[in-house]
Amino acid sequence: MLRQILALTWKDLKIFFKDPGAVAAIFLQPFMFILIMSYALRGLFTPEEGQIRLLAVNQDRGAQATVILRQLDEMDAFEVETSWEGQPLTREMAEQLIIEEKRNLALVFPPDFSQVLEQDPAAEERRTTRILVIVDPTTSSQFIDPILGTLQGLIERRTYTALIPKGLDYLFEELAPQTPVEEREAIKAQAQESMSGGLLGGEGEGPLIAVERIAPAGMRVERYPDTFQQNVPGYTIYGIFWIVSLLASSVLREKREGTFRRLLVAPMSRAVMLAGKLVPYYIINLIQLAIMLGASSLLFGMSLGHSPVGLVAVSLAAAATATGLGVLVAALARTEAQIGGLTVLVLLTLSALGGCFVPRFVMPEWLRTVGLVTPHAWALDAYQDLLVRGYGLQEVLPKVGVLAVFAGVFFGVGVWRFRFE
Amino acid sequence: MLHSMIEIHDVVKKYGDRVAVNQVSFCVQKGEIFGLLGPNGAGKTTTISILAALLLPDEGAVIIGGYDLMRETSQIKPLIGFVPQELALYPTLSAWDNLAFFGRIYGLRGTALKERIAAVLDLVGLRDRAKDAVRTFSGGMKRRLNIAAGLIHRPRILLLDEPTVGVDPQSRHFIFEHVEQLRSEGMTILYTTHYMEEAERLCDRVAIMDEGRILALDTTKALIGLLGGGVIYVRLAAETIETLLPAIRALPHVQAISAQDGRIKIETKDTHPALQELIELCISRDVSILSLEVLEPNLESVFLHLTGKRLRD
Repeated sequence: MLRQILALTWKDLKIFFKDPGAVAAIFLQPFMFILIMSYALRGLFTPEEGQIRLLAVNQDRGAQATVILRQLDEMDAFEVETSWEGQPLTREMAEQLIIEEKRNLALVFPPDFSQVLEQDPAAEERRTTRILVIVDPTTSSQFIDPILGTLQGLIERRTYTALIPKGLDYLFEELAPQTPVEEREAIKAQAQESMSGGLLGGEGEGPLIAVERIAPAGMRVERYPDTFQQNVPGYTIYGIFWIVSLLASSVLREKREGTFRRLLVAPMSRAVMLAGKLVPYYIINLIQLAIMLGASSLLFGMSLGHSPVGLVAVSLAAAATATGLGVLVAALARTEAQIGGLTVLVLLTLSALGGCFVPRFVMPEWLRTVGLVTPHAWALDAYQDLLVRGYGLQEVLPKVGVLAVFAGVFFGVGVWRFRFE
Repeated sequence: MLHSMIEIHDVVKKYGDRVAVNQVSFCVQKGEIFGLLGPNGAGKTTTISILAALLLPDEGAVIIGGYDLMRETSQIKPLIGFVPQELALYPTLSAWDNLAFFGRIYGLRGTALKERIAAVLDLVGLRDRAKDAVRTFSGGMKRRLNIAAGLIHRPRILLLDEPTVGVDPQSRHFIFEHVEQLRSEGMTILYTTHYMEEAERLCDRVAIMDEGRILALDTTKALIGLLGGGVIYVRLAAETIETLLPAIRALPHVQAISAQDGRIKIETKDTHPALQELIELCISRDVSILSLEVLEPNLESVFLHLTGKRLRD
């Protein structure tokens, strides 16, 4: 029995690798998509054109935070909101608005913000504080990072503006004519240190104003994919499901050309025949996954995460799901045209809903929920858990289980509806 | 002593309301070439599909090699070599790879497999094309390889379903020679065709099928004998028939005559002298012949005689 399955497998692998068109469709097509779409859609992962609305909770007892917020608001790119429905924003309100996905970023200026900026340079104790940046964890870092950069620039400018006059006054008072040269040089050095200290602080010191990024209370902080982390698994999953077309066409061709009839006459069970038909395409899927992920790691430097076992588990489950769907389409389609139509309809719809083309985190909530009916969404999430979020086997096992259920249902219904003649 | 390799008794196979095979019975002896002759749709392929265990009959019994088809399929399958009407091969693989694949399915391995592939390639004259992809073969070569694939596991019974469809005369001749060689080696062969000349040349016995039934079953010689020496159909002017019929009946090489709608059917002892006598009679009586058709004694004529239809209709 095993030898018959091996003979069938070897035969179909030979047929596959002798067909340049099929090899190109399976291996090159998704790879070209990865390459083109990753570069073409980089903009999708960077801040969009138009104003970005920022929530601002101003607890500052002085005027410095207000100045920074006004400067931020005066920039074309930002609209600063310090109140919500007529109420001044509090940190709790801002967090709730982020949790409700009404906004995705809030700045919280601390009560001692002005005091820190305006502190006496001669004071013996150096005071520091921090601005909290509350971020919706579903927002991509490509969107957040430029905003934080702008904010830090403004804080730094404000720091110099507030500290430098005080420092110079201090230096003039200190620079009495009778001061020896060596002492003057020492004072100059001190002034330079003060001027460069600003936000970053002096050597061995922390910054005066730290910017700390946090998630709203109760929301998990997650990392979201960059363009390659989205497109490599996305188009790889899209690519492995094209096995559906190859498998279904191969079955139809065997029926049409009579080779299935010839095999049915041989001393071989139908289960062996079906297994022999599946195994080669399952192997092709695994080769495809290995090449796509391996090449992306080598060519684009994409991390493959820290769990090879998790990667293998997700790949085995994803390939089983794709092959199972192939059996289902092979069972339902009666003609090449039906296979073509079904494949395009089913694969493109599932891939689109599952987030292979457009990341699911940019989709509206209802569409994200709908996407969960596709194996693509589960496979993509599982891959991104491993590649992006650094999770291990244990964390992805539930998703592997869901993929196994998809594979089982596809295969079960496919076998039930399969006709050998 | 001959014994039956195939016995089929009162087999019925229906597809919905349509009866594809209706009360078919026959036996095929060991080493015999048995022909199923009939037009497309006569039930030949359904019958051969039942014998190949691809279909189960709705009624009747089938015994192959002493095993009951309904209960002992696994014992029957290794006995059978099946050559379907389609070119059941993988066109992108080489001839060798195709045969290696089918050989492995039947459990052949290693040296035994290689030797067997070489032997069947020799048998069908394709040894020099062993490594070429099947898609580069001519239609006749593909047909020969199709037969080779059915022989790879040394079956005792070979089922050939229309093996010469779309084949050029030279390849057809090749195929005839292979089939005759296989019979000489003791193989039992069931051969379906709608070409009467193939059945006449190859088959020891022929069953003529039409609309799912066997209309006649005998040796080709006996079947042809049903027509005696052949049949002449002649159409004469209506007013002359009545006066001419007794004279035609009295011609030396005429066995029997009948007339219907102005057309006279003349069963002869030998068509050629009978035709000469008929023409001389018409000339002597100054009767015009409106049309004339001569059916030589062959299976085509027998089929026409039995069904009123031509095999290729």
